[in-house]
Amino acid sequence: MKQTAPTSLHVAFAALGLAFLAIFSWVLFHEGVADWRTTQARFRRIEATVKNPHQLAAAASVGGLRQIWLPELDRVDRCGTCHLGIDDPSFAGAPQPFSSHPGTWLTTHPIDRFGCTPCHDGQGQATDYLNAAHQPQPFVTRPMRPLETIEANCGACHRAIDAPDAPRLDEGRALIVQSGCFSCHDIPGFDGLTFHGPALDSLGSKVRPEWLPGWLKNPKGYLERSKMGNFRLSNDEITVLQAFLLSQRAIPPLEGMTVDWKKADTANGRALFGELRCVSCHAVNGRGGTMGPELTRIGDKVRRDWLFSFLKDPHRVQPETAMLQYRLTDVQLRDLTAFLLEEYRSGDTGPEPPPVTYQDARAVMAGRGIFERRGCTSCHRLGAMKNTGRIGPSLAGIGDRNPDELAFGRGNVRRTADNYIFLKVLHPDALLQTSMMPTFDFAPIEAARIALALASIRKADLPVSYVRNRPMPPPFTPAGHFGELVTRYRCLSCHSVGGFGGTLSTVPLDRIGSQLKHDYISKYLLNPGAVRVSVEARMPFFHMLPDEATTIADYMTSVLLDDTLDRYDATFSEADVQRGQDLYTQLGCVGCHQLGTVGGYVGPVLSDVGDRLRPGWIAAWLANPERYKPGTLQPDYGLSAADARALTAYLSSLVDGGRPKSAEQGGRQ
Amino acid sequence: MKPPLAHRAAEWLSSAGRSVFRIGWPQTDKDRAAAMISSFFLHIHPARVSRHVLRPTYTFALGLISAILFGILSITGLALMLYYVPYPPEAYRSMKDLQFVVTFGMVLRNMHRWSAHAMVVIVFLHMCRVFWTGSYKPPREFNWVVGVLLFLLTLGLSFTGYLLPWDQLAFWAITVGTNIAAYAPVVGDQVKFLLLGGHMIGPMTLLRFYVLHCVILPAAMLMLISLHVWRVRKDGLSGALAQTGAVEEVAGVFPPSSKTYGLMSLSRRPRASVESRDPNDEVFAWPHLLYRELLVALAVLVVLHALSLIFMAPLEEIADPTRTPNPAKAPWYFLGLQELVHYSALIGGVIVPTLLVVALLALPYVDRGPAGAGRWFAPERRMSNTVFTLIAAVLVVLTVTGTLFRGPNWAWVWPWR
Repeated sequence: MKQTAPTSLHVAFAALGLAFLAIFSWVLFHEGVADWRTTQARFRRIEATVKNPHQLAAAASVGGLRQIWLPELDRVDRCGTCHLGIDDPSFAGAPQPFSSHPGTWLTTHPIDRFGCTPCHDGQGQATDYLNAAHQPQPFVTRPMRPLETIEANCGACHRAIDAPDAPRLDEGRALIVQSGCFSCHDIPGFDGLTFHGPALDSLGSKVRPEWLPGWLKNPKGYLERSKMGNFRLSNDEITVLQAFLLSQRAIPPLEGMTVDWKKADTANGRALFGELRCVSCHAVNGRGGTMGPELTRIGDKVRRDWLFSFLKDPHRVQPETAMLQYRLTDVQLRDLTAFLLEEYRSGDTGPEPPPVTYQDARAVMAGRGIFERRGCTSCHRLGAMKNTGRIGPSLAGIGDRNPDELAFGRGNVRRTADNYIFLKVLHPDALLQTSMMPTFDFAPIEAARIALALASIRKADLPVSYVRNRPMPPPFTPAGHFGELVTRYRCLSCHSVGGFGGTLSTVPLDRIGSQLKHDYISKYLLNPGAVRVSVEARMPFFHMLPDEATTIADYMTSVLLDDTLDRYDATFSEADVQRGQDLYTQLGCVGCHQLGTVGGYVGPVLSDVGDRLRPGWIAAWLANPERYKPGTLQPDYGLSAADARALTAYLSSLVDGGRPKSAEQGGRQ
Repeated sequence: MKPPLAHRAAEWLSSAGRSVFRIGWPQTDKDRAAAMISSFFLHIHPARVSRHVLRPTYTFALGLISAILFGILSITGLALMLYYVPYPPEAYRSMKDLQFVVTFGMVLRNMHRWSAHAMVVIVFLHMCRVFWTGSYKPPREFNWVVGVLLFLLTLGLSFTGYLLPWDQLAFWAITVGTNIAAYAPVVGDQVKFLLLGGHMIGPMTLLRFYVLHCVILPAAMLMLISLHVWRVRKDGLSGALAQTGAVEEVAGVFPPSSKTYGLMSLSRRPRASVESRDPNDEVFAWPHLLYRELLVALAVLVVLHALSLIFMAPLEEIADPTRTPNPAKAPWYFLGLQELVHYSALIGGVIVPTLLVVALLALPYVDRGPAGAGRWFAPERRMSNTVFTLIAAVLVVLTVTGTLFRGPNWAWVWPWR
């Protein structure tokens, strides 16, 4: 046999050798045209058009892979390998991926501290478009968020309920606060907040029996803006639940029994309704405040005796109500009650129904069962029952829930955690028929905002240095007579002190004693007016007693103070006043403020500002308006100390009498 | 005319070359034999081989391909070790780095992964080939046993390597795999504990698997491969024997060799022939055998490169012990067992694997008759071939079922839906 290799082997060797050469060259080529290399080549061409040769020489060292390592966040972001112009303003408007970052976000979130993926999500380690998960990719848990939902990631660090520059997140969180989701669910970030429906201890004495079934069937049918969800109760359930609720009559004795209703003067009631400024909190026919329930159809709902008792002393009947206690006579109360019940009803409601007496004991027991099972106690206090705590599941870490573990049901829906939350909020029974969660009839946009806010609640905790939190403000509970008055007139339903309290009023009471003069405060409380035409909610007319007003003014001018303002030297020379008047004209104050009959409506009336404001406050306000009211429209003119003093002197001289006066008395800052 | 300096340099170079390659490029048959014998690496081959064993259809080069794959796995594995950190979650991050920033990292990882899968397949086919040609018959009984151990080592290497990426796929495949091991009676739980370094997969498990995968098992593999090849060299290839008809032997045409080979006369082999008893039936290993081996190696490299460019090694999310995928599947070569476990944990997890291994190890000592060795599907061995083929087929069907036809909750699914 021939001892050299046959030709066929040589041919095979040549073929295989070439094949190997070809495929190995392909491996080399493949590496050479990696996504990021070609992208960087493209960048260098663009860079040459954007920068001058000098800058180009300085930038020449920028090449190769670029990454930001964030050990605290356990991330490596290589996005900068392709997004080469991201922190260079000269690339604004350059084609992607080279464009610089829009807005001032990189100033507030330095790129070497925050990287990219903590805000944007996506796979930071990747060096090509696809794997970076600009679009959803298999096995990437968190692909990049579209701009619509990116604020969910703001919420991961910004834990205070009003996060800056994240309007969608704020909206979602505000909706959660308003809707009281945390009554049934444990929601991190909302601890310490409370949400109450009315106590139900006296429901049997409060409502007309024929009203209740309709309400239980669909609360929105009676009250458009009802915060109570629709529990999707069957008619049988409603029957027994009604029996249980109507049997709750553990109320302090009602007071309307002795009133002679035939003498009721509804015209007087109508006048009182306007004078007390009820619409600041209660809407009628769709217009008015939202703090209290809408009154448009109150005649269909409540019993006359109960309403009389409630108006007389709301806190005895509903201890947790935000409603203030007016100081009214029984006659006034009678007229107001009669007016409300006759004016605001859908038709002739018939005579006052007889008191509820007997309820079928078995129905009551069954109703109690439903009351417990559906977690009514999460929102409504009922003396007969203990609060069973939160009935819904905890939402801790909900933003990181694994879609595989979520009950999407059989529906053909996008299986992401975000979408699950959205659908659950929108239609709780769409995914799971047996869901206990009531339907709140959120608009899709509201549900999307709530879902966004919830998606910011992540499982892994961040290093404390990244968390921006604001602790809950400490409760303000003054003692003594002043404390009683604050409780009676429910000042904190609208005003806040140290961040605690309501937000309806634009005036926090923190430094009111340094701002307003004592006599002005006491006079104002007895007859509150409004200077700002643009503000719709008005301070109610309390029918307060004069010594009560004095007590409040005493307290405010000695406790609610900024001490530095009270040491202001308020002895002005005539020259100061004169110079201030010139400045008033020069600075164009008249454009916004009314003086006499001349001026704009944007700012408060200044006709009697010398009676109203303390000089120290005026000076401090003029020097730096934002210090006391961030975001105020009042411009900061950068006045010198002498100019500010002159202007203060002039304004302090504007007092009631001797000067032109507007029609209105007093005013509000 | 050459300048003397260049001449001297060439002289110097060639003498230096001869100090390494003593024979140089062989031009004569004597040199060809000498090349094989004098080289440390080549002398695992005989100088001359029977041309019958060169027929590709006899061995399909499966043993050679297995060895080549082991070589490729060693080289790519060493390269991967330069980047890999055997500690979670750095392990997973190093996978991502290999994918995204290491030059050639993804090709390297793909090559390693596809070679590993290919090796399991090729070693299994090699075993089938050896059975179907009856090549475990005396004197090669023990080499069959070594071969079975090598197959188990191959599975072990693949299994231990499976955990290292530390992704969901790895974590849960090893969870299922080690749970199957725990079905073993009496010692099952201890074996599992020993393997995992605890009761569940964690950093200790990763370290153990890493050491097993990179040190212990490859070292054992290397020793057993040496033994395996050495035995082949000593016993000769079975295909050569079958080509000598009994008639020729009886007729004394090829009397058993009485040549002595110096020290080799001490060999206690039953037959002293080097490879073939017909001198005319032999060809020199250089170039006939070596050339073919080179071609096979090239072909394997081309195929693996192509696979590595087209198919990416999977990498799922980082391992999360709280998130069980449904279904959680063992590595594919254990899915036949998992399919059996689905019917009965005892049968699939204990009885079948134990019986299979014991039967394979005992096979050459039970089936001792020399009949039918060295030929494919020899009629004399119809019975044993049928039984073996059936068992192998069932195993393959079970594995394919477990891999492709099982969905969530191990329910039947059609892979094309």
